[in-house]
Amino acid sequence: MPERLLAQFIDSATRVGAQVHRMGDLDEALNYIGAQATGTTLVPSTPLSDRHSLHRRLAEAGVAVYTGPFRQAGQMVAAGVTFANFCLADSGTVVLESTAEDIRLATTLPEKHFVLVDPATILADNLAAAAPLRDLHQGGRGCFVAYITGPSRTADIERVLTIGCHGPRELHILLVAFLSNNLLEN
Amino acid sequence: MATDSDFKKKVAAAIASPKLSQALHLFGDAYLIARENAFRGLDFEAMRSELAAIKEDVRIRRKELLAQFIKNAEAAGSTVFVAKDTREANDYVIRLAKERGAKLIAKSKSMVSEEAHLNRALAEEGIRAAETDLGEWIIQLAGQRPSHMVMPAIHMFKEEVAELFSREAGKTISPEIKSLVDHARQRLRREYFDADIGLTGANFLIAETGGIGLITNEGNARLCATLPKIHVVFAGIHKLVPGIEEAIKITRLLPRNATGQLLTSYVTWIRGAVPSNGVAKEQHIVLIDGGREALYESTACRDALRCIQCGACANVCPVYQTVGGHVFGSIYISAIGIILTAFYEGLEQAKEITRACIGCRSCVAVCPAKIDLEEIILHLRNEVTREFGMGVVKNVAFKAVMKNRGLFHNMIRAASKLQAPVTRKQPGEGRQVIRHLPLHFMARDLTEWRDLPAIAPRSFRDLFRTVDQQVADPLYRVGFFVGCGADFVYPEVGISLIKVLNHLGVTVVFPEKQSCCGIPALYSGDTETGVYLAQQSVEAFTEANVDYILAICPTCTMAVKRDFVDRLADQPQWSAKAVALSAKTMDASAFLENVLGASARLPALVAGTLAGQTVTYHDSCHLKRGANVWREPRALLGKAGYRIEEMKNSDRCCGFGGTYSFLSHPQISRQITADKVATIQATGAATVATDCPGCMIMLKGAIGKADEGIRCRHTMELLAEALGEGR
Repeated sequence: MPERLLAQFIDSATRVGAQVHRMGDLDEALNYIGAQATGTTLVPSTPLSDRHSLHRRLAEAGVAVYTGPFRQAGQMVAAGVTFANFCLADSGTVVLESTAEDIRLATTLPEKHFVLVDPATILADNLAAAAPLRDLHQGGRGCFVAYITGPSRTADIERVLTIGCHGPRELHILLVAFLSNNLLEN
Repeated sequence: MATDSDFKKKVAAAIASPKLSQALHLFGDAYLIARENAFRGLDFEAMRSELAAIKEDVRIRRKELLAQFIKNAEAAGSTVFVAKDTREANDYVIRLAKERGAKLIAKSKSMVSEEAHLNRALAEEGIRAAETDLGEWIIQLAGQRPSHMVMPAIHMFKEEVAELFSREAGKTISPEIKSLVDHARQRLRREYFDADIGLTGANFLIAETGGIGLITNEGNARLCATLPKIHVVFAGIHKLVPGIEEAIKITRLLPRNATGQLLTSYVTWIRGAVPSNGVAKEQHIVLIDGGREALYESTACRDALRCIQCGACANVCPVYQTVGGHVFGSIYISAIGIILTAFYEGLEQAKEITRACIGCRSCVAVCPAKIDLEEIILHLRNEVTREFGMGVVKNVAFKAVMKNRGLFHNMIRAASKLQAPVTRKQPGEGRQVIRHLPLHFMARDLTEWRDLPAIAPRSFRDLFRTVDQQVADPLYRVGFFVGCGADFVYPEVGISLIKVLNHLGVTVVFPEKQSCCGIPALYSGDTETGVYLAQQSVEAFTEANVDYILAICPTCTMAVKRDFVDRLADQPQWSAKAVALSAKTMDASAFLENVLGASARLPALVAGTLAGQTVTYHDSCHLKRGANVWREPRALLGKAGYRIEEMKNSDRCCGFGGTYSFLSHPQISRQITADKVATIQATGAATVATDCPGCMIMLKGAIGKADEGIRCRHTMELLAEALGEGR
């Protein structure tokens, strides 16, 4: 992954209001989340979260990881923590395969969304991402893929840009090397 | 049914409360900057040509793609219903709701549901629709319809929103935007949890996958598609695209062109039945024709279905900025709204807004699907005229008078004598202008805010014989298409052109039998007169056998260059001649610069007495967006010794629009002109230059009333002045 794409991604994501941080390792990222996530936190179980023992390590970092069914965590949830499949450098976008409902709930309901990104998965732009997007549609079954660019926003009142309409008010992108360079898993 | 005077009353009301117009102007200016930034480094022309080609392919293969979409969507667990009209679509949702015992539907933004009046249909059956898009919720509370495709409540102010929210909540909500958005977030969250059905629109339908795409910012569409156990997608059949790549290309254009974003906060790709609370979600896709198939079948109008609903045509429209979307539109607003209203609601419903387009082509310049909106609107205006008539004044003017060249020209000569009692000399112009108009059938309003130009005592066609052209070894012999403006109102512009051309070694021929270019008749919907006038001029210039044909009016230039060819295309005895003339026709500034290389030759020829006189340049709509000429006059004026001070939005319409400013909508023109005069004044320049007699009529008239220290001149006059040939 060329350094140029990483720099472009950080710049673009920052411009649209995401908070982007390069982390030395996963522990540093989880401690960051521990300091920022105050309240009920939704952490969906996925291949990557299992592989990295995310639930246990987040709990150790002081995060109130919610253990029940996500629909019962309340209508307003404090935080959600997920991985991303891949990212788009030109627009600062994170892409999450979100067919599993827990991923959708953890990224739509919370006030803050923390997303863990492996810099190796940053692609140039959405044209470059056509192939993995098509791969995510393989098999003909139901699927839900989310492109997320910055926090939720609106300009519906007097055309004034206002952050945090119905989706997360804050998007924290934490860059951690060697999480997974497989674009098809999160 | 809305009548003429209802519409005029709405226009008057909108103009009487300028707060909205001021807000739309600010938004329009900010939009242009954001859009430019969003396209930096990208080739917008190439991108939109590509999208137009994609949509053209979809039009041709729509049956096949629809079948493919349905097959793939059903294989992934969706239920697809094709509704021939919006009523069938509404009935489908109502039936589904009843079968599932659904009482509440959480909706994200869907324009086609506005088109279907779905909320009303649901309410009649006791089913509540909760709009969750902030703008849609606001207008739902206000009982209104959207006034913009992307920002439905763009016409409302925060105080009004606070009042609506407070009334609904039964407590006082502060009119601070952040508080209002927070309130909506809190208040609407429970709707997603309580709703039995979530209803979304779709920005595209992908045949290859059977999936839909949603391009959104607020996050409510994701919640509507996720929390309720049933997901209904409401979409027009024209949203089909063949595959993922084509959908991606839409996501690259739509946000950039709609809001200046590289991508919206959320682009969501949903296919089939996804897991929902432990079971497979029930997903229904309702595909709505509702007049789209008929639109696809209309050769003249079908390009309108390339629209990706970005709203840019409104953002840049001077008429929209003046009166807002509730006046200039129906369900869909502004330029695209005129066309869709005609097809989805009927021609009569679109009658008034069809005439409200000023024809400046701003929308055409920014359309991401390369739709020639103005051309389609003109076609519809013809249909309106055929169906409902043109009005008595235009009927007599075009059919009885203009078709008879001799009568037309004699009447104008006579008028130049009769007008004497109402003219006066305008300071700085050395010429007569009309301060008050005696014609009882014209609105008094016409001369209240601007002077009208007086008809020149001697027309260009009379003056031409007196001009002595001494050019040894001419480089070219050019024919001058004078046009009505320069013939009868500003003959001095034509005289200036001859002097400039003579200095550069070119002689000018004036074919006497030429007539009006026919655009005023055509723009008013009178095709027959338009065709007849084209034949007269084609005959005159073919006989003249010249190297080039020049016009000093961009509307005339485009008429000879493009419209004559179209108008005469199916008449074999005329079409070849029209094509041959078209190839030789250009605007005078373009000829001077691009054929003669005049800017390089001017410094040696100019008298050198201007010493940096400051000029601001107004781009006329049809010169810039029709003929693509805007660098040339600036280069010529610069090299002739003038200092150019650019005005803000130099290519925004001056408000003229031909008969628009006299007969159709003088009130709207007045506002647009006032904007232009203010931007001219802000430059501090004593001269405003332009290359269009129409703009000159408007600017001289309005400046005459507003600021007598500024003069308006055609570029040809200023060049003649620089060459020591000033009047």
